Amino acid sequence: MKKVLLLFVLLTFVLSGIAFAGPYEVVDVKGGGSITGVVKAAAKVADPVVKIETTKPEEHQLCGMTAPSGMYEISAGMGVKNVLVYIEEVPKGKALPKMDYKLTNLKCQFTPLVGIAYSGSNFVVTNSDPVFHNTSIGLMVGGKRSTVYNLALPGKDQVITKPVRRTGLNSVKCDAHPWMRAWIYAAKNPYATITDADGKYEIKDLLPGTYKVTFFHEGFGDVTKDVTVAAGKPATLDHTFSKK
Amino acid sequence: MIVNKKPSLQCISYILIMVFSLLIFSIAAAEEGALKAPQDDGKNAVSVDVKKDVQDAGNNEAQLTLGKKLFGERCVVCHGASGNGKGPAGVIKVMEKSGRVLEIHPRDLTSGTFKFRTVSTGCLPLDEDLLRTITDGILKSFMPDAKVLKLDERKALVAYVKTFSPRFTAEEPCKQIAAKMPKWVGSKDSIVKGEALYKKMKCPDCHGNDGSGNGPKSNDIVDDWGNKILPFNFRTGNLKRGSTPDNVYLTFTTGLDGSGMPSYEDSLKDEERWNLVSFTLKLMNKAEYLK
Ligand SMILES: [Cu+2]
Repeated sequence: MKKVLLLFVLLTFVLSGIAFAGPYEVVDVKGGGSITGVVKAAAKVADPVVKIETTKPEEHQLCGMTAPSGMYEISAGMGVKNVLVYIEEVPKGKALPKMDYKLTNLKCQFTPLVGIAYSGSNFVVTNSDPVFHNTSIGLMVGGKRSTVYNLALPGKDQVITKPVRRTGLNSVKCDAHPWMRAWIYAAKNPYATITDADGKYEIKDLLPGTYKVTFFHEGFGDVTKDVTVAAGKPATLDHTFSKK
Repeated sequence: MIVNKKPSLQCISYILIMVFSLLIFSIAAAEEGALKAPQDDGKNAVSVDVKKDVQDAGNNEAQLTLGKKLFGERCVVCHGASGNGKGPAGVIKVMEKSGRVLEIHPRDLTSGTFKFRTVSTGCLPLDEDLLRTITDGILKSFMPDAKVLKLDERKALVAYVKTFSPRFTAEEPCKQIAAKMPKWVGSKDSIVKGEALYKKMKCPDCHGNDGSGNGPKSNDIVDDWGNKILPFNFRTGNLKRGSTPDNVYLTFTTGLDGSGMPSYEDSLKDEERWNLVSFTLKLMNKAEYLK
């Protein structure tokens, strides 16, 4: 009985530790460290072509018959563009930028394909096409999707603004056009970015400590790596993806 | 007799342990709060809070125990013991009058995504939304009503259903949308305006020109779980949540989260959504609801 009780008390403390892993705390970061790196592909991967499959002729007229997917943009040096790089849990650090996330429905594609939205700012969703789109943003939790917003944008130049509330990786889809897709990482701290055309990234102004950095790419998948950051110095963290 | 007594004793000690753990939990929580806000002069307030927390936790515990028992008796067969919607009943196929076959997947309660709400898209359903669905059931879905249960029992089910998704503890409830039907809903003028909006909003893309759910996009739609779903057929009957004007209005306003039906709260004015109600009630042959 005593043992059971002790176990429960211990368990309670462990659980309360998790439950109270408090929200992100904003502090002054002076002389912080940074993480830089390059994300590469082990081998070239052909960029798949998207088929515009619709029974509405006006949509073909506007959006064509096919479009490059832009999924695998790999540089001559094998750098991978559009990899989301983020640290999900940071106890404290610099303030989040106040920056709205602009997502546009243009020629039956979402622009941009990949990006970072910040908690406390807004999603600003625009339809630039004279056809119906609905923008469905869904948080990916444990491999499952959970609708964050499903917005009707029936006409050209419709704009809808919604606050970024739930944080994490989101997939964006349009129910009228199954090929349409985008990825947004909704961040609760400012330590998130995407790789450039050479696969390079930098995350700045981190307090010294050990962090778990996640790399996500829609085609290659995701990986999380540990890195230790010292004050005033850049730590290097590279990753090479290979196609599964 | 002894055999019968043993589990109940175990049960009592289990509850005692739980209460004790919760007490410690509350103290730890209160202490954490005090540490984070040392400037607060609230030592008395903290001890009062601890008492209140323990009391709430006690009530809550009894309610959840009842909810779990009822869930086991009435809901597990479809929604599964873990609430993931994969109960032994599995997926049910239904053929409509029109010949369309609909696949009915029991709701996965773990993602916290619900269609029938009185709050904006993306918001968690309010307790009263869940209570309404549990009480009335869902038409055409094999989700039965629970009118045989007392209110306390249905509320216990609501409380238990909310434990399946961490969203219910992590998020604040949203402001309720009031459906205030204007007197003119159902008038000729409103129906005409609604019909124009039905076209302008591109409803026919999914629901078809005649409302029978056979629009050019009707075969392209999947839900949050990746299951293929078909748009509502206005010609053969009732909305799942019920076809009252308020329910139709709420569907346009809130959208049906998890499905392909988006929210028109930002793309249509309130008045326009009511015009759409006038037209779609006519499509559904449900004008009697207006009398
Ligand atoms: Cu679209």
